[in-house]
Amino acid sequence: MTVTPAAPEVVLSVRNLCISYLTRRGRLRAVNKVSFDLHAGETLALIGESGCGKSTINLGLIRLLPPTGTIDSGEIVYRRRDGQTVDVRGLTTGQLRQFLWRECSMVFQGALNSLNPVIKISSMIYDTAAAHGMDKKEARDRALDLFQKVRLDPRRVFNAYPHELSGGMRQRTLLATALLLRPQVVLMDEPTTAVDILTQRSIIDVLKRLREELNFSVIFISHDLAVAAEIADTVATMYAGEIIEMGPVAEVFYRPRHAYTLGLLEAAPRLSVGREELHSIPGSPPDLVEPPPGCRFHLRCRFATDECRTTPPPLTTAPEDERHTVACYHTATILKTRQEELARD
Amino acid sequence: MTTFTFILIRQMPGNPFSIKVEQLMREQNLTVEEATNRAGALFDFDPNRPLLEQYTEYMGKLLRGDLGKSIISSEPVMNMLLRFLPWTLFSVGLGLLISFGLGILIGMLMAYWRGSLFDNVMTAFASVMYGIPDYVIALLLIIVAGVQLRILPFAQMLGGSTPGIEPGFRLDYILDLLFHAFLPVFTYVITSLGGWMLTMKSSTMSTLGEDYITVARARGLSQRRLLTAYIGRNAMLPLVTRLAISVGFIVGGAVIIETLYQYPGLGRNLATAILVRDYTVMQGIFLVIAISVVFSNILADLLFGLLDPRVRLGKEDAS
Repeated sequence: MTVTPAAPEVVLSVRNLCISYLTRRGRLRAVNKVSFDLHAGETLALIGESGCGKSTINLGLIRLLPPTGTIDSGEIVYRRRDGQTVDVRGLTTGQLRQFLWRECSMVFQGALNSLNPVIKISSMIYDTAAAHGMDKKEARDRALDLFQKVRLDPRRVFNAYPHELSGGMRQRTLLATALLLRPQVVLMDEPTTAVDILTQRSIIDVLKRLREELNFSVIFISHDLAVAAEIADTVATMYAGEIIEMGPVAEVFYRPRHAYTLGLLEAAPRLSVGREELHSIPGSPPDLVEPPPGCRFHLRCRFATDECRTTPPPLTTAPEDERHTVACYHTATILKTRQEELARD
Repeated sequence: MTTFTFILIRQMPGNPFSIKVEQLMREQNLTVEEATNRAGALFDFDPNRPLLEQYTEYMGKLLRGDLGKSIISSEPVMNMLLRFLPWTLFSVGLGLLISFGLGILIGMLMAYWRGSLFDNVMTAFASVMYGIPDYVIALLLIIVAGVQLRILPFAQMLGGSTPGIEPGFRLDYILDLLFHAFLPVFTYVITSLGGWMLTMKSSTMSTLGEDYITVARARGLSQRRLLTAYIGRNAMLPLVTRLAISVGFIVGGAVIIETLYQYPGLGRNLATAILVRDYTVMQGIFLVIAISVVFSNILADLLFGLLDPRVRLGKEDAS
């Protein structure tokens, strides 16, 4: 497991980010007051159910929300390699175009649809290079090198059309393309979801190696806890548009302090003997147009008390590790429950 | 196809002979006998010959490339086709090219700026235009612009070219052709543009929702490159098939317009041939229409392969 070196600098700082979508029933607050710091070389995994706002955060960070989505408030500050800071929300369209991919690139879920079907991979590389003033020769060399690094046959892939590549090859092509301009931050939205387990394995290995070699930071969106545990340094659990628990991966997985994180962990399959039943979290995520009062999770929470139903719990720091923050009133009970479970296994 | 047409047009009420007889009776106040004699002298066509005999003769000639002679004017049908076809190909082809090009461009921009004033105005315009038949537009043009407002010099614009002008690859002749083709082309563009715009808009909308467009945006591509290679090219694919169908109907698609504007194309000729039941000419024109539909479909398949690498066969370039 990789451990973040002591206090590396922050490359991406997000404060109180709120994003909403306009729906027929009113404003839907998909992301509510999300704050986090992403350090150089760090991999942050955002985990949570579908519809909890993970992907919306990602699109919001690069300002590519669909037309109905808007960033209502909050700060997104990016720190360039030369130390200059960039206020992403304040960029003009032209500046944003320069910022994207050069500083912050993205690997989307569903590699099948992420490549333009009518042009060759080479054209896609050249298009990207041309948009950022990289010359053709350099783009080609760099792409071939990256294809090699992600274990693809460089020449064959470079001259291929997307439909001539398999799912895993396309996903690796996207990963290589994301690194073309040496960005500091790569956003990955479930990059291993649409591929089979072996391909998933190889993509994770490739990603880990590349990360060491090229030293970029990753925001990794996943609902696969095993993958998140393997690749991430820091884990943030999201529920109903809010980050409800965040901390170093070992802390969060072995000492969870939020009932929802606990629920997710209990719902994950284990390899231990004799315990075959999986617990699912009852109920479904709340309506985000009119979110419930108090803690947003209280309707589905077995630890809920009156306090939870009226006042949203504040974000507190765990006594054992200051990097571990959580928004729950019953941290001690939940921690104890988890440790009993682990002891039983 | 030829058999079908052959039988079908002989099922039409009346035959060239009886129609001529009626016409003579009406116009020259002849008795039935006089008219029948006169008509019999005018052309060598015997409506009482057995159908099967007529058919075998027609097919036999057709296989040798002989389309027969016009029953009315005795001119070889092939000559007539070669004389009239270029006019139709020129006017409707030009109209199709303009309306397809404009429609693609406007439709794409409508989808790109969806919800804007431009989009709303254009959608309204397209829906209205899409709903009006071409002959209504043609009549409106003639009545409003030509007769009442006198904006357009209609009397001179009718026909295919100014009488007496010498054909040739010269500027004045080409301008004259364009001048005369203006009315049919304009009418065609107006009536078919709306359809292209709306189809392209909906096709572009669905393309815009594709992941690869979001990814291309995330890569910071320029607006122009995004619109052409990413949005436009993919959104155009479904329209290619429609274009091919339209190309196929170029020949048969302008019957009423050409008649109204006195344009010397195949369409007007077909209308005339039907009126006088000129069987051989009708057969010839229908054959041309059928052939053009078949060939434009082949063309569409080829074009599709050019635009979409996924349907190309084999691996011609593995460089």
